[in-house]
Amino acid sequence: MKQPLLELKDVSKTYPGVQALKKVDFDLYAGELHFLLGENGAGKSTLMKILSGSVQKDSGTISLDGREITMNSPRDADRHGIAMVYQELSLFPALSVAENIMAGRLPRRKVTGMVNWGRAHADSRKILDGLGLDIPTTTPVQDLGVGASQLIEIGKALSRKVRVLLLDEPTSALSVHEVERLFQIIGDLLKRGIAIIYVSHKLAEVPRLAHRVTVLRDGEKVGTLDVKDAAEPTLIRMMVGREVTDRYPKETVPLGNPVLEVEGLCLGRRVRDVSFAVREGEIVGVFGLRGSGRTSLARSLFGLEPRDGGIIRIRGRVADIRSPGDAIRAGLGYITEERKLGLVMRMGVAPNMTFAALGSLLRFGLIDHAREREAAVGLIQRLRIVTPHVYQLVEFLSGGSQQKVALARWLCAKAHVLIMDEPTRGIDVGAKVEVYKFLSQQAREGAGVLFFSSELPEVMGISDRVLVMAQGELVATFDGGKSASDDIMAYAAGGCGSSPGGVLS
Amino acid sequence: MSKLSLETGTGQVPAPLTYRQQRRSMFSALAGPATGLLLMLTILSIVSPHFLTSLNLLNVSRQAATNIIMAAGQSLVIFTGGIDLSVGSVMALAASTAIVAITHHGLNLWLGILLCLLVGAGCGFVNGVIITKGKVPDFIVTLGMLSAARGLALLVTDGMPVPSHYVAVRAYMPRALIALGAGEVLGIPAPFFIALVVIGVTWFISQHTRTGRHLYAVGGNREAARVSGINVEHSKVAAYTASGLLAAVAGLVLAGRLNSANAHMGTGAELNAIASVVMGGTNLFGGEGSLGGTLIGGTTLSVLANGLNLLAVSPFWQQVAMGTVVVSVVVFDQWRRRRLAGRG
Repeated sequence: MKQPLLELKDVSKTYPGVQALKKVDFDLYAGELHFLLGENGAGKSTLMKILSGSVQKDSGTISLDGREITMNSPRDADRHGIAMVYQELSLFPALSVAENIMAGRLPRRKVTGMVNWGRAHADSRKILDGLGLDIPTTTPVQDLGVGASQLIEIGKALSRKVRVLLLDEPTSALSVHEVERLFQIIGDLLKRGIAIIYVSHKLAEVPRLAHRVTVLRDGEKVGTLDVKDAAEPTLIRMMVGREVTDRYPKETVPLGNPVLEVEGLCLGRRVRDVSFAVREGEIVGVFGLRGSGRTSLARSLFGLEPRDGGIIRIRGRVADIRSPGDAIRAGLGYITEERKLGLVMRMGVAPNMTFAALGSLLRFGLIDHAREREAAVGLIQRLRIVTPHVYQLVEFLSGGSQQKVALARWLCAKAHVLIMDEPTRGIDVGAKVEVYKFLSQQAREGAGVLFFSSELPEVMGISDRVLVMAQGELVATFDGGKSASDDIMAYAAGGCGSSPGGVLS
Repeated sequence: MSKLSLETGTGQVPAPLTYRQQRRSMFSALAGPATGLLLMLTILSIVSPHFLTSLNLLNVSRQAATNIIMAAGQSLVIFTGGIDLSVGSVMALAASTAIVAITHHGLNLWLGILLCLLVGAGCGFVNGVIITKGKVPDFIVTLGMLSAARGLALLVTDGMPVPSHYVAVRAYMPRALIALGAGEVLGIPAPFFIALVVIGVTWFISQHTRTGRHLYAVGGNREAARVSGINVEHSKVAAYTASGLLAAVAGLVLAGRLNSANAHMGTGAELNAIASVVMGGTNLFGGEGSLGGTLIGGTTLSVLANGLNLLAVSPFWQQVAMGTVVVSVVVFDQWRRRRLAGRG
């Protein structure tokens, strides 16, 4: 057996409160495409970041050609010929294609030290030709489409002597036509002996591209398969197959009248004609992968993004929601996908809890600090938030406690429809269970909960019903049973792989 | 793990810090700026025999007043994460307009004062609306106002000090205005008394009203404020309007003290106002700070200027010294905060 080009052994990484990678082994041969699969939070991104030098592993070894290498910065990765193509493009929009491709290594004239523009453009021309792109090298990148920009990003990696290319969801924003071209280019690169690690949610791409597949779950490697053994159902079972019974405390509550009814909601191309209803006591899960329109739906319901059309009814009455203020008055509460976007970190626990309910804590038009403090103490005890006192800055709390402060805000505002966008992202398992309990308990008290997530087990675990979203549309509805997980994933992923052409172009 | 219960948990019960305790912990944030002021007072008392005399101290407080009043408005803007570069010009425009209207056109004194406040608040309101509705950076909008308001002030006064003997209906300042600048209240110079009232009122608004709470929230995390249902645009407009209004108040006080107004008053005042706020420990990026700090910062700045005068330092060197001290105080404060944060 030949020697792997790149080999990782026992690589671990811990972030505060989360173990992102646990003793992961991984190898890669020259000319091979190794597909990396896993749910959000499984550790794929962390692995890629370690290989590109932007975060450092805590333990374990990385070897190249059988020799252990150090990887402390992106410069190290560069030196070893490992290049990352970022999911969020890292191009300079106002600069030309040539300047972007040659960024940081523009050729200079020997004597004057001035940039040798002739060579810069000639070199980039060669790279563009290799990628089959006939755009002028003087074009500013902002004038290019997403697809071409993605290829420029790859060109930038190729301008260095790259041996290992890391691609993170490269097709998520491309049209079918652009995807085809990207796949051709990938094939050419593999023939030239470049090794590729490819991260994607799209299972349909596996047989098309991969030589081998590795599945990660909760920071651990579940297994590595040859592509001939990697049937889709097998991969899905490896990605989601975990014991779900006691990690998702779910009470069955008799359902009441509809609290939230949505009809024909539209938001540009991101949310298209979405209709559904949530009843009192019901937890409705909305499952969708990145880019499915999940977050846009949540934001438009809460008035953060003006919807283009559609009717929202709260408790049977039409609610004209144009701003978060309207939404709060109508009885909605919202947890942001990114926790940092929802909390004022440099303010205390109490003010953060009472922002949305300050109107009810006034006396003669002034803030009643004593009552605010009482309310905060009550919420802190009820949600078991660990804080030394009620005015502790939120920034100093743990991730789980921060999230509970955000939840407490809506308890304080007496919201009866909770829109939760990834409420358990980035918090540890214990805190996750408490968040599920919180939602269950709110449902028991008659609230309707809309639970947006890209983690299938939790969606199935705590929802009465699961709506599946792909390409901005609701593509399927499931009862909250556990048997349907393969189907749900197939709908969510299938929606992306076999999309009608040109939707996002 | 699934046995966890929300209601019956025996988790850590927080000590319910009282409002007064919270106040006290906030005072500790003023420790840095206050130390700077005390240090300066001590040094100046030792090196200059004229410094620690009641006459001199009353004089300093009189001089500090207009800057402190403007800095109070500036604080509200900086809490929201903004900046108001136009306060010096707005002060000149508001004061000049009022004095011209009163002395050249015979407008009633109280209507004149009202006009002054309206002009100031109006300029601030325009700043706020353009910043929020036009989505233009604060820096650019208020820089534009800095230039435009100064130009308008020159137009209104025809470039001359007012009241002007050539065109005045009554060529003297009303007594009430002179009293604003030169009078005394409870043994304190009237300007400083007004500055203390302004600091008190703005402090009260910042700590005890919903509007005040919203200013900090908007500056601390604009997106979170929005998600919490706070109207970010209204908060910002309110802050700029208050800043313009207080610039007008400062203009009245200064006109009273100088017994005259002119289009060039308050040139560069915006920098002193901003320096005072920052020296008071307020975060220039918004979300944190206090008006107590601004009072200390503004006083420090005036004490320093006075001390350098008493020591007969050349005015050229004075500017160098002022700049150096402002930056040093902030560097020290940042260093102290990082250490505290590291420990907490």
